[in-house]
Amino acid sequence: MKGGDGDRTESSLPQDALVDRRDFVTRMGALAAMAALTGCAVGREPTIAPAAPASRADAQAFFRSLPRPELSAGRVTDPAELTAWEAGALLRDGDLGAVEYLEAYLDRIRRWDGVYRAFNAVTEDRARARARELDSTPATEILHGIPLAIKDNIHTAGVPTTVNSHIFRDLVPEEDAMVVTNLMARGGVMLGKSQLGPLATTRALTPDGEITTMNAWAPGDPEVSPGGSSSGSATAVMARLASSSIGTQTGGSITMPSMAQGTTGLKPTFGRVSLHGVVPLSYTRDHVGPLARDVRDAALMIQAMAGVDPRDPRTGGLPPVPDFLRAATPVSRGGRPVVRWETRLGVLPGWTDADGETGENRRAFLRVAEEAGIDLVELVPPPAWEELTSGAFNALRLVERTEPFLPYLKEDVRLFGPTITSFMSGLFVSGDEYLKGQRAKLALLRLVMDDFFSQCDVATMESHIPFDMIGCPLLALPAGTRVLRGRTLPGGVLLGAPPFGEERLLALGVAVQERSDWHRRRPADPSEAEEARMTGPGARSRGRLDVDAVERQAE
Amino acid sequence: MTPSSPRPSDDELDAFIQTRLNLLGVDLGVLPDDDPSAPADRRRVMQAIRRVLREQMPEVSDYPLDPIEVPPVLYPAHLPEVRRPTLVQAESGTGQEGEG
Repeated sequence: MKGGDGDRTESSLPQDALVDRRDFVTRMGALAAMAALTGCAVGREPTIAPAAPASRADAQAFFRSLPRPELSAGRVTDPAELTAWEAGALLRDGDLGAVEYLEAYLDRIRRWDGVYRAFNAVTEDRARARARELDSTPATEILHGIPLAIKDNIHTAGVPTTVNSHIFRDLVPEEDAMVVTNLMARGGVMLGKSQLGPLATTRALTPDGEITTMNAWAPGDPEVSPGGSSSGSATAVMARLASSSIGTQTGGSITMPSMAQGTTGLKPTFGRVSLHGVVPLSYTRDHVGPLARDVRDAALMIQAMAGVDPRDPRTGGLPPVPDFLRAATPVSRGGRPVVRWETRLGVLPGWTDADGETGENRRAFLRVAEEAGIDLVELVPPPAWEELTSGAFNALRLVERTEPFLPYLKEDVRLFGPTITSFMSGLFVSGDEYLKGQRAKLALLRLVMDDFFSQCDVATMESHIPFDMIGCPLLALPAGTRVLRGRTLPGGVLLGAPPFGEERLLALGVAVQERSDWHRRRPADPSEAEEARMTGPGARSRGRLDVDAVERQAE
Repeated sequence: MTPSSPRPSDDELDAFIQTRLNLLGVDLGVLPDDDPSAPADRRRVMQAIRRVLREQMPEVSDYPLDPIEVPPVLYPAHLPEVRRPTLVQAESGTGQEGEG
């Protein structure tokens, strides 16, 4: 048996090995039907419900298991350079204050966000008051004092939630979304609202299509996409303007910006995180998840975010929230980090044969994975894989996008700016085609469960689309580098797992990150020339995307 | 679309699209006809919708999907089945709602 720390009792297995996955198949069907019957409302009032309780003992064990950061020993002089788990250890020991930590980020936001434009709004006063409050309380919660960026399609009480759209320009929610409530209950500090594509559909733009947000690795070149639609969330984390962030994913919007900028992005299993208070795009495909600096940070975030919400039926009936922190705690064999659970990583045909740096990065990733005790297996895609994951079946999601926004389409189609076609297209899908699409999703899910994951525990992915369609978890990890427009940028890989396979993904990811340094690479601050180009008196336009460009990105 | 069906022209599809929009009360007339400097115009929007109708939906409609093997799951009446305890819940004795 490869990997592990001898920790092999039945109860220690990851959740995907224990639960009845058939439940998930049935759930997806039922939820699809609920969407068809009832649609979903735009801008419903968010609700408050108890956060998922992860035990304090778990958190203590997690922080004790980590190497101690050396802030005072000169290795790191700026707390904003620390990962959330490194800062968390210092905050818990009283060696770093929440206000001090927050001010490090506010300094960087003041200095650099004119260039990056990662934020739509910075809630400086609110954040400072929150940090002061936390400094007067014991640091027991897992996100105690951690400054976070919240994507601007997620309701925040008293803070505008614009979704970068004319439709929501005046929306000031009265309550936080459930996921924000959970993050705050676990000690998080909201820095502000991060930029996104209008209505969470493309890279970050103004409502009329002007490019706003830069890739942190190319702050002077708007042609280098930051990835979308959670662009600002990824840029804020990679540019050290936030410790961690949350984004949403209906069609790649967490994993794509993560792969574009080198963050570790986790799209959890459908229903694992409440969507109450998140402006909807698709009732059966929306997800909320973290964009973080590494796997451990992603585990801290998802542990805080996940849980049942009585006002989001999609969160009910799932197995209990597992111990993600344990999954992301490295284990060793012979003094070398290895994967916690025996894990077969399925490699799709041709995945390593991709052109140029993509292929090199994937091969390098697999070499490290194998060294970490992960078994590589050749994965044979199930029959009908290509057809069921095609653009045509993917397009059926647009019905769920159109339906709640129809009143705004009737009011004035210009409210949608360059995103108009994706919101109108659902009007031209017939009922039988939509129903066929829902049946096809169930067929795909069964294929994935019976065929795909009988061959492996985790799979390499070419695209986010299949698992966005059926709600299985995805993890984007930095791996290697790529050169674009003369700049060196992070490369990345995308992995998928069966429902409730987040622990498996985190365990695999942390084992690889313990043996590599891709996740530790950070971009330099903008140069003087870049700053002048983007913010100076003669700053040039960042360009714009029109309806055709948005359509191409969606494809 | 079956192979014997006549392939609709752009004009025919545009008439279908416009009629559907008129029925719903969605007015594309507020967009410019053809203005590359605008975020969107009628020409580009109609082109995109024609592609959905002409290319994507026929692919969905033509795809064979066995109604016995892959039945439609239409109504929330299936929810009681969803609420079966999972193995983890059954083993741990926790309830059917997860622990949150």
